[in-house]
Amino acid sequence: MDNSFLKTKKIMLVDDETELLKMVSTILADDGFHNIVTASNVKQGLNMAKEQKPDLAILDVMLPDGDGFSLFKQLHAFTDIPVIFLTAKDAANDKLEGLGLGADDYMVKPFMPQELLLRVYSILRRCYKEDAGTIPLTGCSIDLSRAEVYKDGETISLTAKEHDLLEVLARNAGKIVTIDMLCEAVWGENPFGYENSLMAHICRIREKIERSPSAPVSLITIKGLGYKLIVERE
Amino acid sequence: MKSLRRYIKKYLLTFVGFIILLMLLNIIAFMLTFRGVIFKDFGDSSPQKMLERAADGASADGLTDEIILRLRQNDIWAMLLDEDGKAFWSVDLPAEIPTTYSIQDVAVFSKGYLEDYPVFIWNTDAGLLVLGYPENSYAKLISNYYSINALRTLPIFAVVILAADLLILFLAYFYSKHKIMNNTIPIVDSIKALSDGNPVSLSMGGELSEVAKSINIVSEKLSKQNEARANWISGVSHDIRTPLSMILGYAYRITENETTSESIREQATIIRNQSVKIKDLVQDLNLVSQLEYEMQPLKKSSVRIAKLLRSYVVEALNTGLPESYSLGLEIEPNMEPFEFECDERLISRAVSNLVQNSMKHNIQGCDIMLMLEGGDTGFSISVLDNGTGITPEKLQEIHTKQHYMESTDDHLNLRHGLGLRLVRQIAEAHHGRIEVEDNVPSGLKVTMIFES
Repeated sequence: MDNSFLKTKKIMLVDDETELLKMVSTILADDGFHNIVTASNVKQGLNMAKEQKPDLAILDVMLPDGDGFSLFKQLHAFTDIPVIFLTAKDAANDKLEGLGLGADDYMVKPFMPQELLLRVYSILRRCYKEDAGTIPLTGCSIDLSRAEVYKDGETISLTAKEHDLLEVLARNAGKIVTIDMLCEAVWGENPFGYENSLMAHICRIREKIERSPSAPVSLITIKGLGYKLIVERE
Repeated sequence: MKSLRRYIKKYLLTFVGFIILLMLLNIIAFMLTFRGVIFKDFGDSSPQKMLERAADGASADGLTDEIILRLRQNDIWAMLLDEDGKAFWSVDLPAEIPTTYSIQDVAVFSKGYLEDYPVFIWNTDAGLLVLGYPENSYAKLISNYYSINALRTLPIFAVVILAADLLILFLAYFYSKHKIMNNTIPIVDSIKALSDGNPVSLSMGGELSEVAKSINIVSEKLSKQNEARANWISGVSHDIRTPLSMILGYAYRITENETTSESIREQATIIRNQSVKIKDLVQDLNLVSQLEYEMQPLKKSSVRIAKLLRSYVVEALNTGLPESYSLGLEIEPNMEPFEFECDERLISRAVSNLVQNSMKHNIQGCDIMLMLEGGDTGFSISVLDNGTGITPEKLQEIHTKQHYMESTDDHLNLRHGLGLRLVRQIAEAHHGRIEVEDNVPSGLKVTMIFES
């Protein structure tokens, strides 16, 4: 998938280990991120956030002049940028506290660099959608803001449920989305028993977006698990 | 517990037996001591025998020489009184003893003494024979009468007293046993709890409060030690995380750097792969030690296992499995709505460990399948692969050998990972168990079974 538009985003790293700051910066830079700022304590982090206005913050939890959780709260007093905690604290409580505050992700050291990159992309994609509001598929395109599909010069409207399903699928484009996640997106918590309805909705979406709904190429079934939306990139 | 009951019973019974034996010994000692006296009292020189002989040999003229000799041997004096109270004759009569007696005198001395000489009388044809024994040789009971009733009651009284004594003895036995058990059972229970690795807090008054206090101290010390050990492991695993992140990060960077020479990239790949192993180990080690010392509180909630497995598989697939592996999921239709009260994070971790285990042992690649099955009696989560499986010896080892974490044997194989052990601990923390078996036709099948 094309992530180039995400690479212009500014990422702020806060960690008291300068070696680690350097390493994470290098890995991000290797992958094309060229807007990286670093800080090594809560105070610096706050100032940096005010001056530089980063698009994503990766915070350590244990910092010399406070903890990452309190830094998170102070950051959120003036900005709502996405935050990933990257910490050596692996207790379930810490993770719950971090995510409970509203952090977008919580990663425990030691971490695989690829995993960090994937999560950064995933969060940036979710928070900063491409300006072009249309999703290009094989043979058609979808404008979620208008809830419309453009196929062969024709405009087909989407129902609310179809729109919600496509939104989840598009946010995770190229990835499998479980049946459970899709049902929850449409019918809320504990949606057990809606599998058949879900299948019916998927069929109707396919009729709208696929050239040949019985042999889908954009909205693929992953048997027993869920569905995957294949997005074309120009 | 039973052994203690037996032990106390045995010792109290021994004690009761000892008391009975002591009573018997007393009787025997009494008999041995007084045998001589009794023989003397009722033997040849006893007043009864002496009187009989003297009476046989007595006449109005005197005694035979043989009898006189016998009397003298025993310092006994004798006299024969006629109907008027006068002595026909006397033998060795002390000076202070008169030779004439009135009826009143006879009536008085016949019961007891004549001038402190204990006297015994016998009625013969010739007159009243009187034998005087030396002073202080016999005590005579002046008022020697008992009611017949009292004498008749005596044997019954003796039997009843004996029975009552035995009854009291056994009541004392049961009471002591009860009391000792009541005091010792909490102590023994807490020692057993300690041996099972559980902390105890014993509150007891009385003589055994010292023992209870000592047990509490031991328990506290053990808890502290366990806590210190778990904290130590957690501290080390915490401190190792940041350095390991850097090793992983730079190794990754070198492997991805296309300008670096092939051989250096290969070496970096090895560093990366080995670091991943350390990373998994560090993550498992901490959790294993926390579960081991029960420092990991389970965060239980109602979890739809089908959903949990589905999201695990999807996440693994989305993150990207190496090409040589495939991961599938089979859920029995009736298990779709099934909910289980569990710690979601731990169950997911166990499943992930099993999948990684299959991958680790089949580097050439394999197909991995997760299965959720169940019915009224419980449910099971299985992870199957069609890889090389394990040798029967190894399977045997998994079932019988202790893991090095719980053994003090220095010669154990330390190359076992923590993976399977963690899975077992997680299953046990949810009152389940694991089964490891061969998958037919090839590969390994590990099942977590939770019975309801």
